[in-house]
Amino acid sequence: MKRPKIAFFDFACCEGCQLQVANIGEALLDILDIADVVEFREVMSEKWDQSFDIAVVEGSITDHHAIERIKMIRSRSKLLIAYGSCATIGGINGMKNNFELDEIRKEVYGKDYKYFDTIKTMPVHHVVKVDYFVNGCPIYPPEFITVLKAALSGIPYDVPDKSVCIECKFNENICMYEKGLTCMGPITRAGCNSWCINNGNICYGCRGMVSNPNEKSAKDILEKYKIDLNLILNRINMYNKCRELEDNEQKRY
Amino acid sequence: MQIYKILKKSNLDSLVSILSKKQKFMAPVSKGLNKFAFESVTSSKDIALKYIPTILAPKKYFMPQYETLIEYDTKEGQNMKAVVEYENMVLFAVHTCDLAGIQCLNIVFSDRPKDLNYLVRKNKITIIGLECNEVCDEYSTCAFMDNDLPNGGYDLFFTDLGEYFIVHVNTQMGDAIINDTKLFEDATVSHINELEKLREKKRKLFINQFGIDRQKIPELFDKSKESQIWDDIGNRCLSCGNCTNVCPTCYCFDVMDVQNLDLKTGKRIRVWDSCQNETFAKVSGGESFREARSDRKRHRFYRKFKYPVNRYSRFFCTGCGRCTRTCMAKISLLETLELLIKENKVK
Ligand code: SF4
Ligand code: SF4
Ligand code: SF4
Ligand code: SF4
Ligand code: SF4
Repeated sequence: MKRPKIAFFDFACCEGCQLQVANIGEALLDILDIADVVEFREVMSEKWDQSFDIAVVEGSITDHHAIERIKMIRSRSKLLIAYGSCATIGGINGMKNNFELDEIRKEVYGKDYKYFDTIKTMPVHHVVKVDYFVNGCPIYPPEFITVLKAALSGIPYDVPDKSVCIECKFNENICMYEKGLTCMGPITRAGCNSWCINNGNICYGCRGMVSNPNEKSAKDILEKYKIDLNLILNRINMYNKCRELEDNEQKRY
Repeated sequence: MQIYKILKKSNLDSLVSILSKKQKFMAPVSKGLNKFAFESVTSSKDIALKYIPTILAPKKYFMPQYETLIEYDTKEGQNMKAVVEYENMVLFAVHTCDLAGIQCLNIVFSDRPKDLNYLVRKNKITIIGLECNEVCDEYSTCAFMDNDLPNGGYDLFFTDLGEYFIVHVNTQMGDAIINDTKLFEDATVSHINELEKLREKKRKLFINQFGIDRQKIPELFDKSKESQIWDDIGNRCLSCGNCTNVCPTCYCFDVMDVQNLDLKTGKRIRVWDSCQNETFAKVSGGESFREARSDRKRHRFYRKFKYPVNRYSRFFCTGCGRCTRTCMAKISLLETLELLIKENKVK
């Protein structure tokens, strides 16, 4: 069989997920044994102008140019993997959607703001079809490898639709709620092996919400910890603001 | 005839050190904030002899969170090799509630079709129980579930009587430890009397909080299928799955394949699953048998207090209280039972 060609691209993001991939180490060498990486800005300067088998896309879609570019990438690739919260759920970039677009442009670009195009932040699947999702800010490298293996062998991968608590309990951590802290784990999708809690941090909800979160009860619980409602909403919105686009406009491939 | 021995407390460290050299030796260890976990130890000073139920039940050694069942190789055809992962180990200081939990798992995995992975592993584990002289905290219901006193399910059973442990020898595996380590002495009548005195004292400490007989529970659940209480706790539940993961008797699992990077070889594993998970009762086409949270909560309670009673004549709640301790929504097993009893006026 011909060696599959993989290309990495980035849109609005911090490039932290690329860095995670570049740092994978040994397993990355094993991947290079079975596939060719033809474009990857973080680690190589070459560019590839033909088609490829797998496009790995980081970052959110935030202007018209990005829409055209992601459509072009999609048309050149057999499969597309969106990775990182920016690409899969809009992530932090989605916080922009809390404001009027002009207000944002003025704040960022000053008096010449009219020359700078911007649109509401969208995850990649709001613009083109996405075959695989690797949620997380940044991605959890073992999950990225799992997805890559699935893509290379043509089998599906579903982002777990259960809570981070599941993995947190597998790891027998002391629950943040029992430490008197709050945690987004119960309404956030598993798959990161409760990375943050294992390292003494709370879960910020970077992997996005489970498909049917009990938001009402989650808010009630956070309120019991005397956190004011705005802060609770901020915490939920920090990574999940783009959900509203889906709710309102049904914009989804 | 019952065989009782004595282990002086000053000899506990020698026991741990001898046994932990031969195999893994697991015991409760303090994690701070009054939380405990079973971990591997080599010295008695690391063991928390006074502890409340660990975050995860000892179930994790009998059916690990992730377990390999099969290794496969598709380079030439379809080659499968069955795998059983096990290691020799001693589980030390298992409370009576958790002994009951292990007995429940034994029943389930011995039922047809027998689960060889579980049964092979179980035979490699030596269990040393430890009696609770006092109730661990306000969440436990072990007395109501009749698990506050030892009811078998161990090789040796320790009761702390101050300067020494009195040790009940229950199996050959237990007897072997007594003979091999040479640390134990014969118990005399006065030792047995001390044990009797402790048990007498316990009768006043370990009380049934509910005011009904345990045998009334199945009847209670017969009447409670449509209770509003399931909606109430369903509305509060986040479906986080903590209550089932920490439960000593929840045994549901999912099976999946994990491929290696060569994409040709890999393994089939099983992973703990939970009826509280959104996807648990989903079938192809997207339908779910228990879409409503209230249905999932009700299911968990029926899986403890009704269905296993029908099938195995045994309650699958040990009264350990873990599900209540771990729930950030503060859904309490004790309160839920109290409400059901009140609602149905069961006496
Ligand atoms: S620490 Fe967070 S993720 Fe872990 S069990 Fe508690 S709420 Fe869930
Ligand atoms: S624990 Fe939460 S914040 Fe941390 S990686 Fe996982 S989902 Fe993201
Ligand atoms: S621990 Fe509480 S919130 Fe979590 S699934 Fe169980 S009942 Fe629901
Ligand atoms: S249902 Fe709760 S109290 Fe009963 S055995 Fe399970 S965790 Fe323990
Ligand atoms: S529930 Fe009962 S048997 Fe279990 S630890 Fe508490 S007091 Fe001991």
